Amino acid sequence: MPEVAVKPGRHREATLYHALAGVGAGNGRTLAQLREAALKTYELSELPVWRRSGFWTTSLQNLDLDALQDHAPTDAGEQPSGGVPDVVQRTLPDRPHAGRLVQNGGEVVEVELNPALAARGVILCSLEDAFRDHGELVGRWYSKRLTIDRHKLEAANAAFWTGGAFLYVPPGVVVQEPFEIVYAIDGPGVAQYARTLVLGEETSDFRIHEYGLGEDFSDGQALHAGAFELYLQDGARCRLAHLQDWGRGEVYDVSTRFVGVGRDAYCHWLPALLGGHLVRQHLELAVSEPGGDMAFRGLFFTEEREHLDVFAVDLHEAGPSGGDVHWRGAATGESRASFEGLIQIDPGAQQTHTYLQIHSMMLSPKARVDSIPSVLVSADDVSASHGGTVGELDEAAIFYMQSRGLDRPAAVRVIVEGFFEPLIAELADEALEEIVRTKIAGKLAAAREDIEAYATSR
Amino acid sequence: MADLEIRDLHVRIEEREILRGVDLDVSRGEVHALMGPNGSGKSTLANTLLGHPSYEITEGSITFKGQDITESEPHERAKAGLFLAFQYPVSIPGVSVANFLRMAINAKREEPIQVKEFRSQLQHAIDLLDVDKAFTSRHLNDGFSGGEKKRAEILQMAMLAPDVAILDETDSGLDIDALRTVAEGVQRLHEEQGLGALIITHYQRILHYIKPQFVHILMDGRIVLQGGVELVERLEREGYDQIRQEVGAGA
Ligand SMILES: Nc1ncnc2c1ncn2[C@@H]1O[C@H](COP(=O)(O)OP(=O)(O)O)[C@@H](O)[C@H]1O
Ligand SMILES: [Mg+2]
Repeated sequence: MPEVAVKPGRHREATLYHALAGVGAGNGRTLAQLREAALKTYELSELPVWRRSGFWTTSLQNLDLDALQDHAPTDAGEQPSGGVPDVVQRTLPDRPHAGRLVQNGGEVVEVELNPALAARGVILCSLEDAFRDHGELVGRWYSKRLTIDRHKLEAANAAFWTGGAFLYVPPGVVVQEPFEIVYAIDGPGVAQYARTLVLGEETSDFRIHEYGLGEDFSDGQALHAGAFELYLQDGARCRLAHLQDWGRGEVYDVSTRFVGVGRDAYCHWLPALLGGHLVRQHLELAVSEPGGDMAFRGLFFTEEREHLDVFAVDLHEAGPSGGDVHWRGAATGESRASFEGLIQIDPGAQQTHTYLQIHSMMLSPKARVDSIPSVLVSADDVSASHGGTVGELDEAAIFYMQSRGLDRPAAVRVIVEGFFEPLIAELADEALEEIVRTKIAGKLAAAREDIEAYATSR
Repeated sequence: MADLEIRDLHVRIEEREILRGVDLDVSRGEVHALMGPNGSGKSTLANTLLGHPSYEITEGSITFKGQDITESEPHERAKAGLFLAFQYPVSIPGVSVANFLRMAINAKREEPIQVKEFRSQLQHAIDLLDVDKAFTSRHLNDGFSGGEKKRAEILQMAMLAPDVAILDETDSGLDIDALRTVAEGVQRLHEEQGLGALIITHYQRILHYIKPQFVHILMDGRIVLQGGVELVERLEREGYDQIRQEVGAGA
């Protein structure tokens, strides 16, 4: 296994926060060529460290890549081992769905697609199978906007990914129920290189629920290095939700997600980042053609000693276009969360109107949430602004509720749920909303003493 | 023995003594008016009775239905049957009036309330306070007008059916129609459920709709005059300043 020795304490170059370049690594190269190029980058680079102003550092230096399971591509014909892990069966709602793909570790262990949709040309299969069976189509889009060389783990993903998910929704196909794509880590020692490619053809209309779920474990580490790309063609509409909770294990998640919105297309994207030892997400929603519109929502909740670093980009490459970014996050314990939101309006994206707001809530004296909005505008006939709040618990509201008979923990729960509720409701999917509400309630219950101590200390 | 007994209550906020020995008894089925000029300590008394953490009791005691609640948590007082209609109700974003009411009712019960029972209670309260149904699906106090907030307070009171309610200037900021609705609501709860009420007010207006049996005048953190409804009329004639001079001269 190729590996670069990590010398502790050695100076390493920090990676800067910026939007992806307009052109990805794909574009005419074959999968084999891309894997080879990525492998070179992987071998030459060290584990990444991200720095930005405000004393914020996200470092992967504690990740012991060597100790993780061999991440060479699986040989064809290898037996799937684990099956669908418990955590997936526990978490996923029992509800009608258009299709479901589950990858456990490096293997796809379940693929299911409504036959009526298959008959209409919808494809849901592993990305490996897609390269085999739909090579021409996949080759045209694979890594079209994703890079493979910004850092070691991105390169590792591009070089070593196995399994993966491919979803194709043909022109005009409208699907009510969600497509569920699940990446699971069921224990320590796993390096999961996850790769998802979704194509929504002209005027298609569909939902995706992507899950990242981890089983709780105590010893060892695991890695999820993910790459997700979704391209929406003219007039396509997609509601995309990510629900991520890696559980209590030492799981590192370094992922890049890109959504490209075509002419008159629309995407509503809502990642719910609800747990992981160290999570670094680059999320980019680009309106690439005139008339595109998007709503970029997100919520996060960190606890204990978790570290979350989100870089979210609202990119406008053509106008007229619309954007609306609204994130909310809370932190308990000694957790750290950083949300950097960038509005970037490229030259020529005239008549773009966009707004970014980020609201955060610190629920413990040692928790920290940083929100850094920024705006990079290279067109003149546009409007772009940002706002937000940083809040602590509203003691007057707590007393009000107590005076009606709710005890303090119940009152705190009402406030925090109320804080997230506007976004949860936007999931517009009862089953998924319920999962998010339950997870937030669980985190509040776990932090009960912490929140109590915070209140009495002030 | 009265349901609510306040004895020699001294309360401090930020090192300043606001209440300087208050004695007051309120029981179920009684209507009391507590009047006093701005800054005399009326809201301080109301908040202290519900256990607001910013108000420090330095002397005295509060007993409710035979239990000493001087040190009790606010939610324990509420569960015991005390209620405060706030002078300035805060907004609770993200929670509808109906959902909040359900939570508050369930907090008092062992078993959660049946949907049907809750609905019928809510309908009853809605009729009593002349609000429309959509009102209960709005987020509590979020973007409410002054009048809507006061109605929401009384709606909660009707649903929670306390033994003793303290109404802190529920009348202020209400137009005459809203005032009448709110006052009639309180009056009905008093008549139908035997609610005991301590109506805190700066003016006399609300007392035209609800006739108190007992009237107390609070000045500078002390109750300086007590009597029946005739005190309201005297206050109307003389004003606080003259009363202050008279009782001041006697003190
Ligand atoms: N939270 C507080 N912090 C500081 N001072 C307060 C606070 N609440 C009340 N006070 C002071 O206590 C005194 C009595 O206030 P309050 O009880 O609100 O009077 P009332 O309700 O009779 O108008 C006033 O001088 C007021 O400034
Ligand atoms: Mg007052």
